[in-house]
Amino acid sequence: MAERQPLEEGYFVMPDAAHQHPRLIGSYSPKADECFFPRRKRCPITFGPVEDRLLSSEGVLYSWTWLVTLKYGAMTTGGKPHGVGQVDLPEGVRVQSRLLGSQGDWEIGMPMVLDLLPISTDEAGTELCTFAFRIKEAGADGPRT
Amino acid sequence: MALEHDVYVIGVGMHRISAAPTPVRDMAFDAGINAMNDAGIEFDTVGALYNGYASGGMTVGVTLAKDFGLTGVPVAHVENASATGSSAFREAVLSVAGGHSRCAMALGFDPSPGAMMSGGGGALSAGMLSAFFKPSVEGTLLPAAFFALWAVRRMHEAGTTVETYAKIAAKNWNHARLNPYAQRQADHQITAEEVLNSTMIAYPHTSMMAAAVGGGAACAIVADRELAEQVRDRMGHPLVKVVSSRSESERYTPGHLFMGAVVGPSELTRSTSQAAYEESGLGPADLDLVHVHDAFPVEELLYYELLGICGEGEGDKLVAEGATEIGGRIPFSTDGGLIGRGHPVGPTGLAQIWDTTVQVRGQAGSRQVEGARTGMAHMMGAGSVCIIHILQRQ
Repeated sequence: MAERQPLEEGYFVMPDAAHQHPRLIGSYSPKADECFFPRRKRCPITFGPVEDRLLSSEGVLYSWTWLVTLKYGAMTTGGKPHGVGQVDLPEGVRVQSRLLGSQGDWEIGMPMVLDLLPISTDEAGTELCTFAFRIKEAGADGPRT
Repeated sequence: MALEHDVYVIGVGMHRISAAPTPVRDMAFDAGINAMNDAGIEFDTVGALYNGYASGGMTVGVTLAKDFGLTGVPVAHVENASATGSSAFREAVLSVAGGHSRCAMALGFDPSPGAMMSGGGGALSAGMLSAFFKPSVEGTLLPAAFFALWAVRRMHEAGTTVETYAKIAAKNWNHARLNPYAQRQADHQITAEEVLNSTMIAYPHTSMMAAAVGGGAACAIVADRELAEQVRDRMGHPLVKVVSSRSESERYTPGHLFMGAVVGPSELTRSTSQAAYEESGLGPADLDLVHVHDAFPVEELLYYELLGICGEGEGDKLVAEGATEIGGRIPFSTDGGLIGRGHPVGPTGLAQIWDTTVQVRGQAGSRQVEGARTGMAHMMGAGSVCIIHILQRQ
């Protein structure tokens, strides 16, 4: 498998020996006791400082759609129909992202897990990835893509 | 906080919204002249000009103003995504309300996508387009998806059906048939079945449920009471007062989305409308017609409830009863809305002001809401800004 790197730094960390799935980098506000994603420069509620926090890789599907006709931004998506969803993480954060799977796969309330989605390849052949959620299947914990 | 001085709409003008590659300079001039003719004034009466356009280009607005005349008028460019025209109108209102000018013009214009890509609109350069489409984590989420996510969630929570979304879209297509400036001019009455059978964009939304994207221009001129009364006496239009002008951005809500093509909580509409009702001393029951940001029908459905037109979860019933059609209890999107009239961005909010003004004047012809006296114009900008105006015939 080709080497993989984040398409952009600062949104998520890659899987490693201790973690099978990528993890999103959020912000935690100690004063508000709230987490946010993507990272904030300061707490939007208290205006106080925030600290980086790696968020859970699993959550629950809040909503989904299957995007068929692509217009603005089609060049960044490969121009193919795909799923998009919103996933609620246990930290109280709702994340909007691409979904891995096919139309008809999803139901609101399903358990979801974070995975990688290759978007492009750089000159060295490294796959540049964003993050995406897929359905968490019982007994199948590892990343699939 | 109430408007310090009374403000009135004295003139409105449009250039038809369409996919034609008409230069923005021609469309903006047309809309501006139409508004000045409607008010019976010349450009030297205008004390401030706010141009609303979203397609980029430095000093486009100043350049266009030269076509009206060189009067020394202060000119500024306003941009707030879909709410660009609404923001330009609000700046004009605030200029008069604050006593900074006696008469102010808001002019919204944007080229059609065809004109923009060919460079005919004086808009995005090739370099800017390249940067816009550069792959990025946030760039992988497309605007159409966000509205579809709303729609699917609404179906889950309230049992809304795809037929309800189709009925709202068909209504707005049919309202647009009565508006000579609308982009979508169907040659027959559109049915919900046709809407459902059109090309799927993002489940559950089909192409006929999506806002029409074209170019166009719209203009509104506001003035103080003394000047408005002169225009009334000269032109015969009734006085149309801006009884509320409110704008808000996001507040934190549980499950707040910070990332995506279009973000922001729907609660923003509720809080902004409450402020508008308070400022005007009016309530939802006082409205005779409403314009909203109906980029997709799920928005219009949710705004029925968020604007207080009906209770939570009762929007579907309004659609089933036909209450939001012209002739119904509270017509929405009487000029076709974003779905039928079109959504050229810069002019969109001002097109709402145009229709609301002619409606409360009683000059809307075949789409006239009987007895209309009070109308609301609501716009969202990138889901993160909400602007609401209420106009009332005096």
